[in-house]
Amino acid sequence: MMTNGNGKTGPKLTLWEKLYFPEIIHGMSITIRAFFRPKFTRQYPEERWTPPPVFRGRPVLVMEDETKVERCVACGLCARVCPSLAIEVQAAETELDKERYPERFEINMLRCIFCGFCEEVCPEEAIIMSKDFEITFTDPRDAIFGKEKLLIPASHLKDRLEFLKQYR
Amino acid sequence: MPKVTIVEDPVDGKGKTVEVENGTTVIRAAAQAGVEIPHFCWHPGLSVAGNCRMCLVEIEKMPKLAIACATQVSEGMVVHVNSDKAVEARKAILEFILINHPLDCPICDEAGECNLQDYTYSHGPGHSAFEEAKNKKPKRVPLGPNVVYDAERCILCSRCIRFMDEIAKEPTLTFVERGDRVFIDTFPGKDLTNPYSMNVIDLCPVGALTNREYRFKARVWETSSTEGICPGCARGCDVNIWVRNNEILRLTPRHNPEVNNYWICDNGRLNSFRHVNSGERLNSPMIRKDGVLQEAGWDEALAHAADALKPFSKDEIAVLGSAFASVEDNYVLRKFARQVLGTQNIDFFRHEIEGDQDALLIRADKSPNAYGALEVGVAPSKGADVNRIFELIASGKIKALYVMDDDIAATKEREELLAKLDVLIVNHWVSTKTTQLADVVFPSATFAEKFGTYVNFLGRVQLSRPAVSTLEQERVPGRFNMSRLDKFGSAFDKWNKGPRRNVRSSWEIISAIGSLLGGKMRYQSAEKVFDELAQSIPSFKGLSYARLGDRGAPLKKAKEEALVK
Amino acid sequence: MIAIEALIKIVILLLVVLGIVAYLVLLERKVSAYMQDRIGPNRVGPKGLFQPIADILKLILKEMIVPEKANSFIHALAPIISITVAVGALAVIPFGNYIVIGGQKISLMIANVNIGVLYILAMSSLGVYGITLSGWASNSKYSLLGGLRSSAQMISYELSLGLSLIGVFMIDRTLQLDRITMAQSMGLWNIVYQPLGFLVFVTAAFAETNRLPFDLPEAEPELVGGYHTEYSGMRWGLFFLSEYTNMIVSSAVMVSLYFGGWSLPYVNYAAMAPNLAALVQVVTFFAKLGVIIFIFMWVRWTLPRFRYDQLMNVGWKVMLPLAILNLLGTGAVLLAVK
Repeated sequence: MMTNGNGKTGPKLTLWEKLYFPEIIHGMSITIRAFFRPKFTRQYPEERWTPPPVFRGRPVLVMEDETKVERCVACGLCARVCPSLAIEVQAAETELDKERYPERFEINMLRCIFCGFCEEVCPEEAIIMSKDFEITFTDPRDAIFGKEKLLIPASHLKDRLEFLKQYR
Repeated sequence: MPKVTIVEDPVDGKGKTVEVENGTTVIRAAAQAGVEIPHFCWHPGLSVAGNCRMCLVEIEKMPKLAIACATQVSEGMVVHVNSDKAVEARKAILEFILINHPLDCPICDEAGECNLQDYTYSHGPGHSAFEEAKNKKPKRVPLGPNVVYDAERCILCSRCIRFMDEIAKEPTLTFVERGDRVFIDTFPGKDLTNPYSMNVIDLCPVGALTNREYRFKARVWETSSTEGICPGCARGCDVNIWVRNNEILRLTPRHNPEVNNYWICDNGRLNSFRHVNSGERLNSPMIRKDGVLQEAGWDEALAHAADALKPFSKDEIAVLGSAFASVEDNYVLRKFARQVLGTQNIDFFRHEIEGDQDALLIRADKSPNAYGALEVGVAPSKGADVNRIFELIASGKIKALYVMDDDIAATKEREELLAKLDVLIVNHWVSTKTTQLADVVFPSATFAEKFGTYVNFLGRVQLSRPAVSTLEQERVPGRFNMSRLDKFGSAFDKWNKGPRRNVRSSWEIISAIGSLLGGKMRYQSAEKVFDELAQSIPSFKGLSYARLGDRGAPLKKAKEEALVK
Repeated sequence: MIAIEALIKIVILLLVVLGIVAYLVLLERKVSAYMQDRIGPNRVGPKGLFQPIADILKLILKEMIVPEKANSFIHALAPIISITVAVGALAVIPFGNYIVIGGQKISLMIANVNIGVLYILAMSSLGVYGITLSGWASNSKYSLLGGLRSSAQMISYELSLGLSLIGVFMIDRTLQLDRITMAQSMGLWNIVYQPLGFLVFVTAAFAETNRLPFDLPEAEPELVGGYHTEYSGMRWGLFFLSEYTNMIVSSAVMVSLYFGGWSLPYVNYAAMAPNLAALVQVVTFFAKLGVIIFIFMWVRWTLPRFRYDQLMNVGWKVMLPLAILNLLGTGAVLLAVK
């Protein structure tokens, strides 16, 4: 264990460092250089950013373009894998080939941590992370997104679907 | 008695030697040694079919692998369960079964409790050499009113066929077609309408046979399962109560060789919990004010009930117990009647439907606890019995009646008689004709909401645990079995807001009224009630909740009767 | 006549200083932003220039919450003390030499007291009452600890602050700030004679104004907000104002004592029209002031906070001996030169 001049543990200081003032000047030279560096702040509401496909925005349900039917088969794996228990699925039987569909599919966006596990576990590529990161509400009840907010046509999600194909 | 050695660990080669009876099969001998051999078609409650080949094991001095389910033990036999050959064989069998089994576990309802899924994970090859398209077979075929069949998922183990032949004794199901086109169907002109038909759903090792009602309702891992007792008849079948979001979704049989073995009847499975989820549930104590029943707080209603009973002499009061209530409820009621009210007019209604019974499980007595009610003394030794009580009400001698957990206004006549009473106090879980006539109504807990013991017609005392939480009883670990959602959800989660009813166990309600009337009857829990009655009632001597466990224990008397026989 | 003149000067000075303070807050936010590769407030008005107005409006409109068990009178009094003494110290600062209006010479300082520097030291020491009282009156452990730390810190650094200045007084033989300025305008700035004294003074001034690296009284991680934890709305705003006013005072004293005040070398003011000369002097003064204040901010966004024991160690074991050394050295040199 190293000790400094005060008998407290810490790195051993050289005399130059112990003089203190030279090190202050050193520190101030660092901050003043930062002062004149060009800034790269994005003026957010005016300058918008289109995230790349790797971006994990809010999870959405993919809806087939032609049939307007969700891909989801309500297997509940997303709900099971979700570490923050944000997802609730209620399955029901349908006459379609896929046999079951989500009668109710709700994501509590206050709980969601955008980890993307639901997307990874989904066997149907039915829930994927969109590019939408602008999620606001003024009432906690509005934070529970139902199917009407979650269903997005596949044609709007092309980027991410293409991206996911690489890892299939 | 041959000795067999079961070798589980292929590395050290040391096995466990067990002594079993002549004619025992290897799979049962292994189970005795604590080793589970994977199997699909074999079921301990059914005959041996030996068609799935999953239970192949290597037996020393045998030239080929043998199926553990059909091979009988012989002296000095050494069975290698996990030798290289056996493991390879199991992998091959699983690969074979999976050739035509669809890999749609996410859609399949069995996922999570599927033998094929579990074994594929633990013993499967992890890949398939089979690249061609899978077979198409009929899907969603209703075999009967309650069972739906999916031929693609079926692995043709024939458990369901054997069940209908051997246990239900009504051969209904059979294989049709041959080779890779084979599937299961009912005989022409027959339907799967047997009162035990739904057991084939539990028997099915995969998701081929599904419960029409429970289909797609919930995933297994979202639900909690609790050891309960079916209240549908005097058999008192052991069941698991499956609950999600504080709502009972299904009942499944629980193995108990002394009561129901592996089975349960369809009526018990489908209807015995209806009243728990019913929309007619009472959700608050009620007091009749100005001729109308109005909601009241517990303390107010309890005090009102105590005050209402006070003015009557002991011969003017009668008390009716219930064969639907637990032993504890009936015991507290009897104590209340004898010690607090001092009345001898105590009895309960029988609910026997002559003719609606069979040799397997179903009993004519449609209540779970008639034996228990009698045993704790809910019977008129000197006072009036049920019929006499009604005569006395008619003649105006009995003016106050306490009815626990039963609907007694079955006929118009009785309704009119009940209306004649000065005071009628009723505990019940749903709104009935009796509660509508009552002056004070207490909402009581159903079998699924309380600890309670029930004595079946054989004199077996069985403990039922709470599966549904009430308003006053949080779903806490220790008392309740918890699902993942129960464990990690908060009160603010929408899915955690299943209805919790404002009800109390009948013993709680009655002991509270008894205390208000000066009786010494305060209990902290149903277990404390049971401990007291186990002390004072000879036939319950030596019993406790711990002794009862999951399978129950016979009453002392029942044991003696059995010995005499 | 003199009273009216003083009153007008006070009003003008107050308006100017409070305006400057408001914009100093914006400057501080901008400086910190730029040092952290950010842009800082830029939404209110062009380039964020109306941000101070929005800030002040917000502070004025905000509810002032007084804790239930606080001493409400002292709780209200404390910020008033703080701002009063801070502004009061400005009275003796010479922002320029004089202007001529209607043939009359009007000095560019409010009060020419013959013990000017002592007056400033006295006022800035009084400032500790505002902080200590606010800590005590809030009836909160964090506030109280903040207030106590503040008093301890003030006492520790007041000594070295005063001692470091004595060197300047010995050289210029006066306590009046305008005379000290005048003396420097004729010869070299005092910084040349008193580098060590200046170093001690700067350090002590940082401590006196509760600025980083010595902002122990409001150390956020330890004390939530320190002495002003229980303050909100404009009362909190007053503490804020007084902190920045103190900074102006300290910087102004520094400019006057060590950097020649309003004077510039090689400039012959006598050759200019008197009012033009005054303008140049005022601009010079505020330019120097601005540089010093920028250094204040620069240091704040560079250095981390001292630990409390380090603060005390530096105060008593380093600053005080250095100040005394400086005093003795100056005395010896002056004797030798004489």
